[in-house]
Amino acid sequence: MELKLDDLTKKFGSFTAVDHISLTMTNGVYGLLGINGAGKTTLMRMLCTLLRPTEGNIYCNGSDIFEMDGEYRRLLGYLPQEFGFYPEFTVHDYLLYIATLKGIRPAVARKRVRELISQVGLTNAAGKKMKKLSGGMKRRAGIAQAMLNDPKILILDEPTAGLDPNERIRFRNLISELSEERLILLSTHIVSDVEYIANEIWLMGEGTILHRGSLEEIIASIPENVWECSVKKDQIAAIMRNYKISNMKTEPEGATLRIISRDRPAESAKRTEASLEDVFLYYFGENAKSEAEEID
Amino acid sequence: MVRFEIKKIFSRTGNKIALLLLAALLSLTCFLTIGSVEYVDEQGESASGIGATRRLREDKNQWAGEITEGVLLKVLQKNAEINASEEYLSKDVQENNKAYAKKQGFSDIRDMLNHAFTPFREYDYYRVDSLTAEEIAKFYEQRVIVLTDWLNSDEAKDRYSEEEKNFIITKYRELQTPLYYEYADGWQAFAEYAPTIIMLTVLLLAFPIAGIFANEFQCRAESIFFSTRLGRNKAVLSKIYAGIWIITGIYWTVILLYSVVVLGILGTDGAECAIQTGLGGWKSFYNITYLQEYFLIVGGGYLGSLFILTLVMFLSARTHSTALPVTVPFILLFIPSFLSNLPVLSEALGILPDQLLQMGQTVCMFNLYQVGKTVFGAVPIIMILYPVLSCALLPLLYHIYSKTEIK
Repeated sequence: MELKLDDLTKKFGSFTAVDHISLTMTNGVYGLLGINGAGKTTLMRMLCTLLRPTEGNIYCNGSDIFEMDGEYRRLLGYLPQEFGFYPEFTVHDYLLYIATLKGIRPAVARKRVRELISQVGLTNAAGKKMKKLSGGMKRRAGIAQAMLNDPKILILDEPTAGLDPNERIRFRNLISELSEERLILLSTHIVSDVEYIANEIWLMGEGTILHRGSLEEIIASIPENVWECSVKKDQIAAIMRNYKISNMKTEPEGATLRIISRDRPAESAKRTEASLEDVFLYYFGENAKSEAEEID
Repeated sequence: MVRFEIKKIFSRTGNKIALLLLAALLSLTCFLTIGSVEYVDEQGESASGIGATRRLREDKNQWAGEITEGVLLKVLQKNAEINASEEYLSKDVQENNKAYAKKQGFSDIRDMLNHAFTPFREYDYYRVDSLTAEEIAKFYEQRVIVLTDWLNSDEAKDRYSEEEKNFIITKYRELQTPLYYEYADGWQAFAEYAPTIIMLTVLLLAFPIAGIFANEFQCRAESIFFSTRLGRNKAVLSKIYAGIWIITGIYWTVILLYSVVVLGILGTDGAECAIQTGLGGWKSFYNITYLQEYFLIVGGGYLGSLFILTLVMFLSARTHSTALPVTVPFILLFIPSFLSNLPVLSEALGILPDQLLQMGQTVCMFNLYQVGKTVFGAVPIIMILYPVLSCALLPLLYHIYSKTEIK
């Protein structure tokens, strides 16, 4: 399976949401990391044929996906950021309906729905109305619907948004399980989501892919060092003014700071290994920080 | 897939309420329709219902048969006898009602006589009391004379072209006489109240119908819907089929229930009588029977509902919302009545879709349309125009919805 983005551009009036992206994806998990408004959702919507590009093309195994139409969507599973459903449908009916939309024969659909309900841990909730499910259960129903047609391309837009930490870990594990022999594109602004499961990470900002590579390559891409040091309360403000702080742990007499800087920021500072979160902060600056605070 | 679409629509509480409301309004309309047929007994007391209908039918069917000169003379004579009775001459209303009770059997024929011998735009309830046997002999000719006088009057002479005037007069002359008469109050009551229940059906159906295409957006389920294999082709068709199924299923269920209840209780006698034998139909230039009028009412109602609700589907597919589309039936059904006083618009108003929903009245209107030298009444035009427009809307509806982009 190969998806090729060729000079892909999407403009909304004078605003360019996706700006001349050219990439090739094969099987594996791709983590698309970027702050809100980076163009992730627009890119994913084009990959799902929900939006037509203003310029450029998307090819699936050499064919234009918009010309392939239903044949392309046959290979596709999609969990959108805002997972909408029919509130009065039971989980079972909802999945059967989506299976019908995916063109799965009724007998096969019934079997597949049973399997997936069990796989995502919704067996006891199969007869419950969708509106009665918890946030985590809804997301699991969402991943089940995306998997109904055993898709070769799975596109997950912010799949863990709004989930509690336990659900997030469970969800990550589920995606890992599903990743064999598939192309999975996982978009998120939660760094830890992609840190553990993505084979390749894309950092997206202002409609373009700023950096791409394995976790190690991405971490190695920042030209600065990461430092940790404990400082007194009266020093915190000055350091925050002069350096990028990726983390601050407040303590009774001061704070332990994680600082991104080419030079040693303080005498007591010790160099430490950079993490993906540091990279995220380095590239997306204050915007990334406010999102991280939002998440915490 | 169609089954799921229908289930999706009727799983919503608002749509269930709309259906329950429709059922309640259907019951109310049946009640009002049946109650509209009244019988006045020998004591001058009014009653309605099954028993009253049976007695009215018995009284009227004593006059069943062709309305010949002999029958008309008999009516004249009987009317004069009752007019000379104590009850009729009394100043007591109850006594007057007793006199009326005796006239009920021939009241329809009496109405025809009143119509035939008063000017076209007038109605004199007592005209029959002064008619002579010589005048009675010209009963059927009189219908054409009254029409011709009106067409030549100041009010109408410039309103219709010569071809249009000839068209109406020819239609009047083509009416087969003598007219056959029997009790037909069931058909008349049906024709009078059917527009109410048809319009209510359209207004209430607009809610579930508008939801068919807007539902995906209201539930924010559109991204998944359009990213599925059949989401941009077969699934859109299923929505259209579901819409047509809902319109067809509910419309015909309502109409059949209404027909069975109303005609079952008020009776189907008079099906072969011309609509001109009734007070409302006397002036109509459509030479049809009550049964034919029934088919026009229910068929026209269906075609009108189909058009209006297809338009609702189209707008909801275009706007992804239900707010504007549900107002469309209100606009189409009620705005024409506000504009009816504007003579400039009278021709256009005669072929608006609301006319299809009230065929019982449409067949009594003098809306004429001339193409070259050929003149048409509004009925054949709207019966062809709106099915064609509905058919034209469906591919457009499919196109705009299947090409939807999710921004």
